[in-house]
Amino acid sequence: MAGGNAGGGHRSPSEPSERIGIADRDGVVGVIMLAPAVIYVLALVAIPFLLAIALSLSDATVGNPGIHHFVGLANFISVVREAAFVFALRNSIIITAATLVLLTILTILQVELLARNFTGKRIAEILLILPWAMPVALAAVGWLWLLDSEFSPIDWILRAVGLLGPGTPLGPANNLYYLGREWLGIGAVVVINVWRTLPLSTIIVLAGRTAIPNELFEQAELDGAGYFRTLLQITLPALGTLLIVAILFTVLVIFGDMTVVALTTRGGPGYTTEILPYWAYLKGIQGGALSQGAAIALFLFPVLLAASILALRMAYRSEGQ
Amino acid sequence: MARKWQKSTPIAASIAVAVLCALGAGANVFAAANSDQSNVGSKPPPVQFPAKFGALSFPEKFPAGTSLSITQWSHFVPSYDKWFDAYARQWGVENNVKVTVQHISYADLNSTLAAAIAAHNGPTLMQMNATPAAFIQGLQPLNDINEAAKTVYGTGVEPCTHQTYLPVKQEWYGYCEGWVVDPGDYRISLWKAAGYPQGPTTYDDLLKGGQAIYQKTGIPVGVGMSPEIDSEFYARSLIWSFGGQVQDACGNVMLNSPQVIDAVKYQAKLFHAAETPEVFSWNAASNNQAFVSGRASYIQNSISFYRTAQDSNAKVASDTGFRPGLKGPTGAVHQTAHVWFIYVLPNYVTDKNQIAAAKKFLLDLTANYASDTYYSKLYDFPAYPPTVPELAQKGGWIDHDPWGSNPPDKLSVLRGALDWTAWLGYPGYADPATSEVYNTFLLSTMMAQAARGEKTPEQAVKDTAAQVQQIAEKWKRLGYVGCGQHAASKD
Repeated sequence: MAGGNAGGGHRSPSEPSERIGIADRDGVVGVIMLAPAVIYVLALVAIPFLLAIALSLSDATVGNPGIHHFVGLANFISVVREAAFVFALRNSIIITAATLVLLTILTILQVELLARNFTGKRIAEILLILPWAMPVALAAVGWLWLLDSEFSPIDWILRAVGLLGPGTPLGPANNLYYLGREWLGIGAVVVINVWRTLPLSTIIVLAGRTAIPNELFEQAELDGAGYFRTLLQITLPALGTLLIVAILFTVLVIFGDMTVVALTTRGGPGYTTEILPYWAYLKGIQGGALSQGAAIALFLFPVLLAASILALRMAYRSEGQ
Repeated sequence: MARKWQKSTPIAASIAVAVLCALGAGANVFAAANSDQSNVGSKPPPVQFPAKFGALSFPEKFPAGTSLSITQWSHFVPSYDKWFDAYARQWGVENNVKVTVQHISYADLNSTLAAAIAAHNGPTLMQMNATPAAFIQGLQPLNDINEAAKTVYGTGVEPCTHQTYLPVKQEWYGYCEGWVVDPGDYRISLWKAAGYPQGPTTYDDLLKGGQAIYQKTGIPVGVGMSPEIDSEFYARSLIWSFGGQVQDACGNVMLNSPQVIDAVKYQAKLFHAAETPEVFSWNAASNNQAFVSGRASYIQNSISFYRTAQDSNAKVASDTGFRPGLKGPTGAVHQTAHVWFIYVLPNYVTDKNQIAAAKKFLLDLTANYASDTYYSKLYDFPAYPPTVPELAQKGGWIDHDPWGSNPPDKLSVLRGALDWTAWLGYPGYADPATSEVYNTFLLSTMMAQAARGEKTPEQAVKDTAAQVQQIAEKWKRLGYVGCGQHAASKD
């Protein structure tokens, strides 16, 4: 029995059994250790989630957020019928998928770069981590300037090299109007998402990359393996689990986040860059239809759940191999 | 009992006015406000804090410990906020109330109020910049102070009363201190060269002249079709001036009509003739910035950009002309007011002293609205015009802009603004459906869909009308849309 003989060498068998402290009780210790996590999950995940379900089935408004009257699935039916829903669902998936692809490629490239020694590596590391440390508001100002419809420096460079303006491949307009066009707007949101999530995914994967024994790479070099063969047969398989963690994290961050769209396109032109989280906010908080906003937000749940289950399965499978 | 304010026997308006004059506190708030007022012409009278407004009376001093927290939107004429903070501090000292003021972005108003109502905790008063009708269930009726103000100053102007009163419930859910005129703003030199020396007077002028200017100079027209407030105001102005309606006086949805389709067709044509895709991505500051930087020939906006230009780009300021709203095909002119100063008192405020202090603060601000208008650089127009006689009287501030316009009567178009100004919910009252339609940017989105060719104008209008209908029906089921006794007829 746990604790039965703790310090027993100093105690005769005839002595009454020693006092058992809380720290000696596995059950109690387990509960205490788990409690913060359970409280956290209950308070910040389970209760809000159940509340969101209840709200989505009610006729609650921002002025009367209490759940007094249930209306069944009326809110879900109502939002699905709106034109914005198709755009929001489509764009949420496209933006997340495109961000993932771009992010994975750039993460691998960046990790491969930082795994090597070169002059100015420290400065490169600081620059690469900078987007993560930059306040969102400051970043937004910078990106809005870069993508400005009239004064974008990107447009200025394109004009200077003869790619933009009358009679040029991207002309005849003098500006590209990044946020005023459907696919340029979506592209801009993807680029900003990649920019802000790249540092974290790089740090996660870099930790795994530096843990791969150097002997493996040396042996591969001796065996005459080229860069891509080493990358595909040694580096990436060894990084599999961490890449999946990075991908899972990115899906959770990007699919459920509205910041970038809110600061740039705000869903326009029309609904063409609308995404589910921003539409839920617009409808539920700005518009006042709290129950419909909750219904929209719940459409995020199955996608996030499926992505989580899939990623975890792959991670476990990878560990088992 | 001194701790409570109470209704007293109604008195005649004339007596109330006399009381107002007699109880003037004579405070000198403006000395604490701005430092750049050395040459600003005739100033408003000193502020005063009366204890009696019509049937309502308040204590001379509130009991110790009374507090008042105010959250309001950061003014588009930034120097105003300095004046307001000083005014609020002085009001607090004079009334023995601890006053705190927080300024937030206009874009955060709805989310802040929603969070406060959900948490049952937040500011005592919140100032909204458009009708807060969608929040009505979480707000205290303010019938008493609206009626007191009416007793003292007469009926409020429609752009205000129709944003804060709900006939179907016969309830004042907000208190409107003021509103903002939304004139047409044009570059004099560009329009003169295009053959319109007085600027465009009709939407047809805007199309033809705007196209000519764009073709000749590359400078586009700057009316937006983006999910933001200026685009929403413009969409309504266009629809109303073309003879269409969003809703009727009883809140019935009227959007799907030939007149609205014509308005949408017009906007698509204007976009292709004289605009660029930037108008789909604008925020509320974009048309100001475009105009001040010389990149727009015409915008529809309040005078805040002009006040900015006076300081930052004097050349553009002197080249700016103002027009009333543009005439539609039948000659009708209906321009949406450009934001409001509407205070609400949420249900979670239960302390009687706090409630009384809040109501007195609002009525005192109305009493001192001449200072408010003046220090907003004529941006804020009063809900009760008799409170600011200096504004529109002959030789007054509009005739001789105390803030340095050249010529001094450059803003004279503002004088008749009530004749061509409409409001959210026009021709009726704003209701929660009006508020939801406005806050979810349905009309600017409709314009964008047609202009981009995503939908035909007919389809865009039909689909949007169905959305608006669904919103209206939802609020009708809850009992917040319908006909009822009008504010003007209610005593």
